[in-house]
Amino acid sequence: MKLSRVLFASVALALSAAVFSQDIKIGYNSDQSGGGAAEHGLSGRFGVEAAIEDINKAGGLLGRKVVLVNRDDQGQPPKSIQNMNELIDSEKVVAVIGPTNTGNALAWLHLPQQKKIPVISHVATGTDITKRYEKEPKNYIFRVSMVDREQVALLVAYAVKASKTKKIAMIADSTGYGQGGIKDVTEILKLHGLTPVANEKFQPKDTDMTSQLSKVKNSGADVLIVYALADANAHLMKSMEKMNFFPVTVGSWANLASPFVNIAGRKLAENLIFAASVTESSNDRAKALNARILAKEKNLPIFVTAAQGYDSMMLLAAAIRKANSTNGEQVRDALEAVDGVQGIIKTYNKPFSKTNHEGLGVGDFRLAKWKDGKVVDFQDVVTKSITPADLKK
Amino acid sequence: MEALLQAVLSGLAIGGIYALVALGFNITYNTTKTLNFGQGEFLVAGAFIAVATVLLLSGKGYRGVLQPEDVTVFRYLVGFVAAVVVLGALGVLLYYTAVRPFVGAVGLAWVMSTIGFGIIVQATALGVWGPAPLAMPSPLGNDVIRFGSAGILPQEILIFVVAVVVMVALDFTLRRTKIGKAVRAVAHNKGAAALMGINVPMIVILAFVVSSCLAGLGGLLVAPITTASVFMGLVLALKAFSAAIIGGLDNPRGCILGGFLLGLIESLIGLWHAELREISIFVLIIVVLVFKPEGLLGRRIVEKV
Repeated sequence: MKLSRVLFASVALALSAAVFSQDIKIGYNSDQSGGGAAEHGLSGRFGVEAAIEDINKAGGLLGRKVVLVNRDDQGQPPKSIQNMNELIDSEKVVAVIGPTNTGNALAWLHLPQQKKIPVISHVATGTDITKRYEKEPKNYIFRVSMVDREQVALLVAYAVKASKTKKIAMIADSTGYGQGGIKDVTEILKLHGLTPVANEKFQPKDTDMTSQLSKVKNSGADVLIVYALADANAHLMKSMEKMNFFPVTVGSWANLASPFVNIAGRKLAENLIFAASVTESSNDRAKALNARILAKEKNLPIFVTAAQGYDSMMLLAAAIRKANSTNGEQVRDALEAVDGVQGIIKTYNKPFSKTNHEGLGVGDFRLAKWKDGKVVDFQDVVTKSITPADLKK
Repeated sequence: MEALLQAVLSGLAIGGIYALVALGFNITYNTTKTLNFGQGEFLVAGAFIAVATVLLLSGKGYRGVLQPEDVTVFRYLVGFVAAVVVLGALGVLLYYTAVRPFVGAVGLAWVMSTIGFGIIVQATALGVWGPAPLAMPSPLGNDVIRFGSAGILPQEILIFVVAVVVMVALDFTLRRTKIGKAVRAVAHNKGAAALMGINVPMIVILAFVVSSCLAGLGGLLVAPITTASVFMGLVLALKAFSAAIIGGLDNPRGCILGGFLLGLIESLIGLWHAELREISIFVLIIVVLVFKPEGLLGRRIVEKV
């Protein structure tokens, strides 16, 4: 009796271990319910899931099936840290994709770095994320997303050229996102020899910014740089309409999110120019992925993070194949060597190296705007006159 | 001058929202001396039910994107009925599950239980509709009404008007009608009211129903301004509660006054230093509490021994 029990237990254990080793686990740690970044996290997951579906359809990796272990950090740093420990220590994931919030990333970057688990940040844009362990012999943190510094370089280049009076104002939400962006804008404006004529703040949930805009108007600015999330920016456009005050307005990629056009309405939404890595109409691959996810998930709020999630997973898959192993350190080394990986945004030819962990750079970014309820690439005389020398950063 | 006019208009528009939510706090406080701290989440529920109703009526399922042409006045009114009915039912549920077991008992269990109930409502909405805000175009259109160079949206005028009408109706009911007198009697002394033949439990349930319906109405009205967002409840409820405290929690007129005052302070301070807005509001609350703890229009309660 006792012996059979022991036998049974050990067989069960062996079986479960076998199941364990069969699947390749990829961790996903992002805000999917907490707040402003939740839409990015949710859309990003749809993209990663689509990539995994494609990989498994083609036979998986190293003959094994890939599964996603999803964790929601609700936008909270403590929860995000806990998720990270769980994914690495209990779930034994090969790599992690995430998070959505720069603050959360900075809270746990030391964990994957110490435990040798590669991370691809597919949403968070904070400049510091890939920089923190740059000087270490092996940096485990990669990114396939916009980078604040890089997109600000493009936005400011456009703003400076578009301004006739060279009076440029800034407005941002009071969170780390808005204020971090404002810091980059101020520094890059300085490289262009300018200082902003107004610097206004609002709360992320505000719906009326007329008071702040009055001050922008009185400063005589003809270009306004805005750094906040999509819904707040939509309310900003509504406040502009109330005052009938429409300076040239440029903003971050956050405005790619559909709440921006849904709240502001199609006509008002056309008044904002923003940076983007890809739009749903940029190429045929993007169109196909967008249609595919929409068929499954009616509420795909933000296509761009789905595309970045898809590309992150494809790069990881290429690295695992190249390393022919699921060992974190070997996968990391392989990431720095992968080449010719077809993604949604572009074909990644040697995207990463010892010194560069950014999959995307200012050269991959474009300006875009909403037109008739869709994001389209934006070009005018000013964009055409921007030269690489203007992209100071 | 222009900027000042715009700030006043915007302040009144935002203030109307605070005032409307503040009235919901007033009703239950007057009858049971308890508050629904989940009022903000009830507002969320009201907004989502209204948006979902309009979506269903325009044949787009219960979640999707509304275009301005989808939101007719008729559909909006059906949304209004749906929000008020569902929220009224939620009010009954709230009373039986989260208030009645604790009311009159020692301690503040009802504070936690109403917050908890609100979180359950919010999490349910999150599960059903997801984190992305649902936009709701105003049935009155999005054309800005201009006063000189300052502008205001028709929906904001509607909120302002509804807040004042609801206040007048509440004030009239409380002071002039039999049921209003019964409510005041219950508020004053439950035991005595019961002895006078007033059905106390009925009055108390009524208070929770009306308060929840007001949250539903509030959600429906603010959705075109703020969008229906799962996360909008807490901020609105906190501001509305502050408005009620400043104006006088036990007086509908005080709640309205507090709401408009708060809205005006926010936008006028914004003209000067936007980051000082929250500081000035809460400094004002402390000042009011020190010099007139019952609120600007509140009744001083004299405890007779």
